[in-house]
Amino acid sequence: MKIIINDTEYEFKKGQMVLDVARANGVHLPTLCFNPLNAQARPAGCRLCVVEVLEGGRPGLQSSCTLPATDGLKVSTRSRPVYNQRREVVELLLSEHEQDCRNCFVSGDCVFSELSREYDINGVSVCSECPNRKQGCLLSRGVLCLGPITYANCDAYCTRRGYNCEGCHSVMKNEDLLRFGLEAFAKAEFTKEEILEAARVFSFEGVDVLEKVMIEEGFK
Amino acid sequence: MKEININVEHLTRIEGHGNIILNAKNGNVEKVMWEVSEAPRLFEAFVREKPYHQLAQITSRICGICSIGHTLASLKATEAAMDIQISPQSELLRRLAIHGENMQSHILHLGYLVSPDLFGVGSVIPLVKTHTDAVLAVVKLHRLANEFSEVVCGRTTHPTNLIPGGFYKTPSPLKLKEYRQKLLDSVETAETVAEIILDNIGALPSFSRETEFIALTTEDEYALYDGVIGSTDAGTYPVEEYVNVVNEFVVPQSTAKYCKNKREAFMVGALARFNLNHEKLSPMALKWAEKFGLRPVCHNPFMNNVAQLVEIVHSIEDSVSLIDRLLIDYKDESRPVITPKAGRGVGAVDVPRGILFHEYTYDKDGICKKANCVIPTNQNHNNIQHDFETFAPQLLDKPEKEIELNLEMLVRAYDPCVSCSTHFLKVEWKR
Ligand code: SF4
Ligand code: SF4
Ligand code: FES
Ligand SMILES: [Fe+2]
Repeated sequence: MKIIINDTEYEFKKGQMVLDVARANGVHLPTLCFNPLNAQARPAGCRLCVVEVLEGGRPGLQSSCTLPATDGLKVSTRSRPVYNQRREVVELLLSEHEQDCRNCFVSGDCVFSELSREYDINGVSVCSECPNRKQGCLLSRGVLCLGPITYANCDAYCTRRGYNCEGCHSVMKNEDLLRFGLEAFAKAEFTKEEILEAARVFSFEGVDVLEKVMIEEGFK
Repeated sequence: MKEININVEHLTRIEGHGNIILNAKNGNVEKVMWEVSEAPRLFEAFVREKPYHQLAQITSRICGICSIGHTLASLKATEAAMDIQISPQSELLRRLAIHGENMQSHILHLGYLVSPDLFGVGSVIPLVKTHTDAVLAVVKLHRLANEFSEVVCGRTTHPTNLIPGGFYKTPSPLKLKEYRQKLLDSVETAETVAEIILDNIGALPSFSRETEFIALTTEDEYALYDGVIGSTDAGTYPVEEYVNVVNEFVVPQSTAKYCKNKREAFMVGALARFNLNHEKLSPMALKWAEKFGLRPVCHNPFMNNVAQLVEIVHSIEDSVSLIDRLLIDYKDESRPVITPKAGRGVGAVDVPRGILFHEYTYDKDGICKKANCVIPTNQNHNNIQHDFETFAPQLLDKPEKEIELNLEMLVRAYDPCVSCSTHFLKVEWKR
């Protein structure tokens, strides 16, 4: 009895799930809720282990930890829909995590930081770490601070010490995040050129996205 | 007679990459070369068309070790170009900034890069086990220097607090007081380090080659932050004439430029400063120079290590007295207001590795039109090459490994920051 994962055939024993076959053969599948020490319990709650069934079963995305291997079943662990779904899962899990997980310095020791890098979950801005964000924000004091549109994880090193953020961690590249960040500038009186010029010191690609979003948002 | 072929590619325990080549036959040196094969850093082009307030921010990134020095040279060039006067208080604070960096950089070089040679090991790691106290003392000093730099400059590297016209935020007087005490307490640690180095100083080869020394110099202090260009051969020059002092030229074996002034080469750095300005060192620094037998004019490049040690002690002592002067009448002078203006200006600072020049030309809106930076290590490459040519023949009867080590130690003594003088692009062809 054989199943096909990513165009390669693998033998399996009765009762094995696709995840088990993959693991036994060194095919990587990310999981969160599956606990190998308690392999009987399969809550199938995290949906991170999804694979796309291509032939020999109900087509579409299914969690591999609970998908029984059957003869002739053909799945993909790395198709576009699989990637998109996993990305969505990680993003939702991190939606309330006020940290730039992707660039976090504990990386290597944290499964989330690995996942957010693997699935390109963009970070949060320096403002989310800044002690001034509730009161005494530099923008309200007329200082051009790039905190709102800069990737965090310096623990707001400069703004915490009273200096403006120069954007040395690079301007964010995600349009939505930039849009949220730019709200902070709407109240402050800086021109589009001033902000772009400051952003250009340490960022390259991000600045083009920033410019596009600024034009859309009607910055002058 | 034996044949000697040494080829050290990517010498370790220096900043950046350089190669050493020695070929000798029948007791004759056929070729000896300090090779710097690097691509230019292009910073002078980066800053063109950038507004004046971004220049220090950008040029400080030339280096991760002497970023405070680059910032200060950059600010001084901008201020000279625009006739900006900074307050006496800001001047004193900037002197603290350069002391902070001098300590940071020198202790890093001596403690982590040179000390393994003194103890005859390959890196600092084995010393952690065998000389735990010494390594701890080094780490302690380094940490203090970092923290002190942060208090004054806002960050330990790539400072945010140093801006054209003065300081973004005047450092807190309470912090200065706190660090005055910490500096005083660190004297003991510095002396521990000095004692250990003194005990092992015999490991430094004795070698001497007469050369010209160039450093900033001034009447009233051991010049680091400010002064005119001084030379042991030729008196003084105004900083505006730096181009005629460094005389950059191109040689085939190096993509970094070479320099010369009165002789075939000159040396910059701690030893050059010592040779020109030793009498203005702090009392304790002088005491240590004496203990090491360091006397001007010293032509042994290996003594640059000792001069650095002496400067660490000087920086500690002088910082304490600068803080005392500052705190007599300390004011909040945060965020000075300045107006840009067209002009050309040169800034010179004696940074850890030697005299550093930045020169900018601005238009009336303060946009940079032209920039030039001459980095200390660039000025030393040529002198290293000439030292090699004199030193190598004296070494030939030693075993090959020992010759290699001696040449490596010679380069290291200059504390070169090759990545600073240019930037090495490592290309490995795999076919
Ligand atoms: S704009 Fe700057 S000062 Fe204001 S909250 Fe954000 S990071 Fe902090
Ligand atoms: S300039 Fe860099 S270190 Fe400073 S607050 Fe901004 S991102 Fe953080
Ligand atoms: S491992 Fe969590 S759903 Fe499969
Ligand atoms: Fe450097």
